[in-house]
Amino acid sequence: MPEPMLKVENLHVHYGNIHALKGLSIEVEEGEIVSLIGANGAGKTTLLTTIMNQVTPTEGEVTFLGLSTRGKTPAAIVQAGMTMVPEGRRVFPRTSVIDNMRLGGYFRKDKAEMKRDMEKLFSMFPRLFERKNQLAGTLSGGEQQMLAIARALMSRPRLLLLDEPSMGLAPIIVDQVFDTIRSINEEGTTVMLVEQNANQALRIASRGYVIETGEVVLADDADKLLSNTQVKEAYLGG
Amino acid sequence: MVFLQQVINGLAQGGIYALIAIGWTTVFGIVGVMNWTHGEIYMLGAYAGYFLTTMGLPMVPALLLSMAVGSLIAMAVDHFGYRPLRKAGTLATSGFITALGLSTFLRYTANAVFTVNPRAYPELVEYRLITLFTFKGQAITISSMHLMILIGTVIIMIILELFIRKTLVGKAMLAASQDMQTLGLMGADSEKLIKITFAISGALGAAAGFFIGTIYSINPMMGALAGLKGWSCAILGGIGSITGSLVGGILLGIAENLTAGFISTGYKDAIGFVIMILVLIIRPTGFMGYKFEEKV
Repeated sequence: MPEPMLKVENLHVHYGNIHALKGLSIEVEEGEIVSLIGANGAGKTTLLTTIMNQVTPTEGEVTFLGLSTRGKTPAAIVQAGMTMVPEGRRVFPRTSVIDNMRLGGYFRKDKAEMKRDMEKLFSMFPRLFERKNQLAGTLSGGEQQMLAIARALMSRPRLLLLDEPSMGLAPIIVDQVFDTIRSINEEGTTVMLVEQNANQALRIASRGYVIETGEVVLADDADKLLSNTQVKEAYLGG
Repeated sequence: MVFLQQVINGLAQGGIYALIAIGWTTVFGIVGVMNWTHGEIYMLGAYAGYFLTTMGLPMVPALLLSMAVGSLIAMAVDHFGYRPLRKAGTLATSGFITALGLSTFLRYTANAVFTVNPRAYPELVEYRLITLFTFKGQAITISSMHLMILIGTVIIMIILELFIRKTLVGKAMLAASQDMQTLGLMGADSEKLIKITFAISGALGAAAGFFIGTIYSINPMMGALAGLKGWSCAILGGIGSITGSLVGGILLGIAENLTAGFISTGYKDAIGFVIMILVLIIRPTGFMGYKFEEKV
């Protein structure tokens, strides 16, 4: 069996007295979509920010493409091929759409390739192309989410982490976001998704993890989780 | 007439304030620290210019070298003062007192080395009164030195604006002032951006010091009030906004000259702070402060 693309082993994170992650372990194989579901405060966002080294774990190991990320800056991890679309999108509101995208590939030296990538992303997100010179802060929530995803893709990640991409969006826009994630995956990017919208997150995923108070309580194929009675009751609305 | 003349007189001074204010606001916006050494960098820039010009260097090379000195000092302040706090994650709590301490250290070291005696630059441009235009039969004039300062300030501002708007590094600086953490997710090295920010801030502060040295005598204490005024211009214009700092600086320069001309020179230094307090009451984000609704 090949090494998984991302391996998180026995991860512990403390915020002062709060034990946010309690020995959490997950794996992501190349090519798949993995969904992490769990309630508010379960530690989903902490897990992603810790994987990106925005938060330093007290114990445990994160291995990406066979290399430990210990001591690396978030920027170095991005350059190694993993990036995150943060919770709440976090586009640069006073910067234009096109400049948000350019900044997404900030560290890249291959300008010509970057231009091609941007054209590709604009054809994937025609709304962004229409509004490329507008300030990102004037976009709607759904458009900002698309921009955050497009911006992250500008760094050509092999693994894309998404933190609550459906948060605060209208149902029809949520469908679009999940369609987009699926097509990004089909193009060859591995995806790990953190969601409260468990139903849709599991529907597009191959595997899923259920996280409660900083621990993995269930790990299985996504379709098995969808039919699991416990999961149904707790996360899928009965 | 007198009014117009006072406005013109205030422009050069305003440009100098704007340069100081922009240095403040860029560092505050990106690094999140109130860099109180900024007034001292302005003072040291003025001294660098003094020594270079008395050595016989012409104005432009002396100005550029002084700006380089300002950059180096500002980067050193960050490297030895703020960077260790950033690494330890205590910049938010200890940054302010570190800044005050460094500022005092630089001021009194300069005092010991350069002595309190004020010094004056050699004449770099021959003093002349240039008539700008005549208004109702009266000539509105500007001195050659003030005109030179105004032109120099405008050139520096244009270069800065082009750098921020047109280069990717400049755009990244603008983005960093909005959300440094997210910029890290683009693979941008935040330490490198912070270095560039301090270099720019220091160069602008030193340029302001150089310009003031060409019209007034300089002394090691000059940074205290100028630094404070620069900060109030930055607030006036809206923290984090370069255009705002420019407007704030020019407004303060003009307001001071009008106060000196029509009320009393004794109130000249107070007017800036009166305006600042009024702005904070009426429009807390400053003239050009940004306000975007958070979309959840």
